[in-house]
Amino acid sequence: MKKFFAILVCKLGRFVGKLVGRGSSLPGKYALKICPDILRQVTLPRYIIAVTGSNGKTSTVEMIAAILRAEGKNVVYNEEGSNQIEGVTTTVLTHSTYGGVMKADVLLIESDERYAAHSFQFFHPTHFVVTNLYRDQLTRNGHPEWVFDALKPAMFPETRLILNADDPLSACFALDRDNVRWFGLDRCSISTEEPSGIYHDGAYCPICKSPMEYRYYHFNHIGSYHCPSCEFGKPAHVDYAATDLDLEQGLLTIGQELTIHLAFRSIYNVYNILAAYAVCRECGVCAEHIGKVVNNYILKNGRMVRFLLGAHHGMLLTSKHENSIAYDTNLRYVRSTEDPCTVVIIVDAVSRKYYTSETSWLWDIDFGRLNCSHVQKILLCGQYASDLAVRFSFTDVPQEKIELHPDITEACNSLKAGGAEDVYVLTCFSDRDKLLTQVEKEAV
Amino acid sequence: MELRFLHFYPDLMSLYGSWGNVALLRRHLEDLGNTVTVEEIRPGEQVNFENADFIFMGAGTERSQKAALEDFARFGKDVRDAADNGVTMLFCGTAMQLLGQSITDVTGTYFMGVRVGNFSCTQGKKRFVGDVYGHTDLYQSPIVGFMNSCTLVSGVLTPLLTELFMGFGNEQERGPEGFRKNNVFASELTGPILVKNPPLMRRVITGIYDHRGQALPISLPAYPMEEESYRIACQELKTRFEKE
Repeated sequence: MKKFFAILVCKLGRFVGKLVGRGSSLPGKYALKICPDILRQVTLPRYIIAVTGSNGKTSTVEMIAAILRAEGKNVVYNEEGSNQIEGVTTTVLTHSTYGGVMKADVLLIESDERYAAHSFQFFHPTHFVVTNLYRDQLTRNGHPEWVFDALKPAMFPETRLILNADDPLSACFALDRDNVRWFGLDRCSISTEEPSGIYHDGAYCPICKSPMEYRYYHFNHIGSYHCPSCEFGKPAHVDYAATDLDLEQGLLTIGQELTIHLAFRSIYNVYNILAAYAVCRECGVCAEHIGKVVNNYILKNGRMVRFLLGAHHGMLLTSKHENSIAYDTNLRYVRSTEDPCTVVIIVDAVSRKYYTSETSWLWDIDFGRLNCSHVQKILLCGQYASDLAVRFSFTDVPQEKIELHPDITEACNSLKAGGAEDVYVLTCFSDRDKLLTQVEKEAV
Repeated sequence: MELRFLHFYPDLMSLYGSWGNVALLRRHLEDLGNTVTVEEIRPGEQVNFENADFIFMGAGTERSQKAALEDFARFGKDVRDAADNGVTMLFCGTAMQLLGQSITDVTGTYFMGVRVGNFSCTQGKKRFVGDVYGHTDLYQSPIVGFMNSCTLVSGVLTPLLTELFMGFGNEQERGPEGFRKNNVFASELTGPILVKNPPLMRRVITGIYDHRGQALPISLPAYPMEEESYRIACQELKTRFEKE
C-alpha cells in the first residue's frame, strides 16, 4: 500500500511540478518520505547504467540515450539533471506502473559523484561509467581524492565498471576487483611528451605518492602513466581504445573498424564519445550502429550556443566555473581556431546553486593559451573582472589586448559597436544568461 | 636585496592556485628593487636553510600531505630554528598541520609534525568547506579567503585569525583560525591567500624586510586590481554574513 501511495504521490507531484515549472527532485523526496525503500521495491529494467565523473556526465548520458534509442530501446533518464537520490526516485517512479514495474528497457542515470553511494543504496547499477575525476567545484567537492573516497562505496562487485584508462585517479577504482572495462586513447597526433596546464595532478602516484612517469600526455595529466615504485599504471589492454585522432580534420578512429566525424573538435567530446561507445558495446550494440548515431553528433544540452552580436558571429563555450580542466579544454579549442577573434570571459556569480566568493580556481586555469596572434582582444567581465585581471597579469598575453568590463551589458554594447571578428565566450551556467539575453541565438 | 625563497613540494602540495602566493610575493618584492630566487624543493632533495628569506608550502590532499610530511620531517630542526630566528613562512591549507605536534588521520593513525607550534590536528570524515571572513590582530582590515578542511586543530594559543565572522575556525564554527609565531603565518585557508589579502601581503613583506634588518620604502607601489578584488570580496562576504 505504501508503495502504491508513494508512486501515486510522485506521479501527481511531477505532473503538478511540470505545470508550475518546478524542479524534479521534490516528488521523489515526498515518495521517499512515504516509503523510504521504495527504490528497492520497484522492478527495474535489465540495464541500469549510471554515469558519473567531474566532467562530461551530461553529454555522455545524452549520447548513450541517443545510441540506445536508435536501437529501439526504451531509455529513461534524468534529463533534467536531478542527479541525487530524490531526482533518481522521481525518474524511476514517474516511469513505473502503479504496481511498481518500471516501463523501460534501460534506466540511465547521471549521478552526482559525491552522492552515488547514497543514491544506489537500494539498487545497484549493472554498469557504472566514470568519465574522469578532476579538480572540480571545491566549494562542494573538497578535492578529487575526497570525491574518490565518497564514490568508492558505490562500486559494487556485481556492477561492471566502465573506466577511463587514461585518468590515473579514476583508474584506481579497478584496484582489487574484477568486472572492469576500459576506454581510452592511444598515442596520437595530439599527444605530447610534456604535461600541459598550470598544475600536474599526475606528478605523483595516486596510490603510493611516488613520482609517476608518463609515456605521453593527451591533455593536462591525462595520458599514459606508470609508477615505477608500485607498478600502478595505464592498463596494458584497453577494451575500447581510440587508435587515431585528428582534431584538425575532426576524425576519430575507434579500434580498427570505426571512424567517425566529430561535430565539435574538442578532446572532451572525444572522451565522452569513447565512454558512450564503451558502455553501449557492453550492452550489445555493434560498432557500426554506434558510429551512425555519434557521427557528427551535435549535443542538444545547450552547452555550446552559436549567436550573433552586432556583426560578430559568436560561440558560447559553457565552462563550469571552479573547474580548471573544463576551462583549459575550451581555451585549447579557441587556440586551435585560426580566424581573428575576440574572447570574452565572464565571472560574475561563481555558482548558480550556492553562494561563494571563492576565486582560487582562476589560478588553476591555463589562460596563457590565449597568447596567440589570432586572439586579438580579451574582455574580462563580471563582478570578478579584477580577479581575472590579476590572474591574466601572470600570463604572457600582452596587456594591451585585455579590456576590463565589470558590466556585462556594457561589454556586449562595446562589441556591438564595432568589428566583425568571431567572438568566443567562456563562462558558466551561472553567468551565461547574462550574455544570452543580449544576443541573437543561431542554430548550432 | 637578493632574496631567497624555499617553495616546498610545488607539485605535491599545490591544490587550488597555491602557486599564486609565491608568484605575487616575488613580483611585489621585485617591484621594490629586490632580486628573488625561488628554489623549488621536491621530496628527497637537499635543502640549505641558511639565508632563506621566505619558506612556503601550499595545500594538498590529505594523502599528499602525509607524503609531504614524511619528507619534511627531516627538516624539523631547521624549520624550528628558522621560525625562532624570524624567517618569514607561509603554510596554507593542509600544510599548516605539518607545523604542529601531530596529525591523526581518519583511521586513527598518528603522525608526528615538525613542532614549530604546540598544536595537534585530528582529521575526520566531515569536511568544512566555505568562505571565510575574519580579523587578525596584525592589522585592522579583515582577512578573507576560502577553507577546505576536514581537520580539527587544538592547542593553538596564537591564531592568525583571532576572530571569525564567517567560516570554521581551528576548533569550532567562527572560532579563532590558523597559527602564528614570530613571522610564521599558517592557516587552513587554501589557495592564493596573499593574492586575496593585500594587507597580509604587506605584512609578509614587512616580515621579510625586518628579518634582513631593512626598513621598507616609505612609498610602496600601488596595485589597484588587487585592491579592487579585495574590496569586492570583503564587501560580498560582509553583506553575506550580516544577512545571515
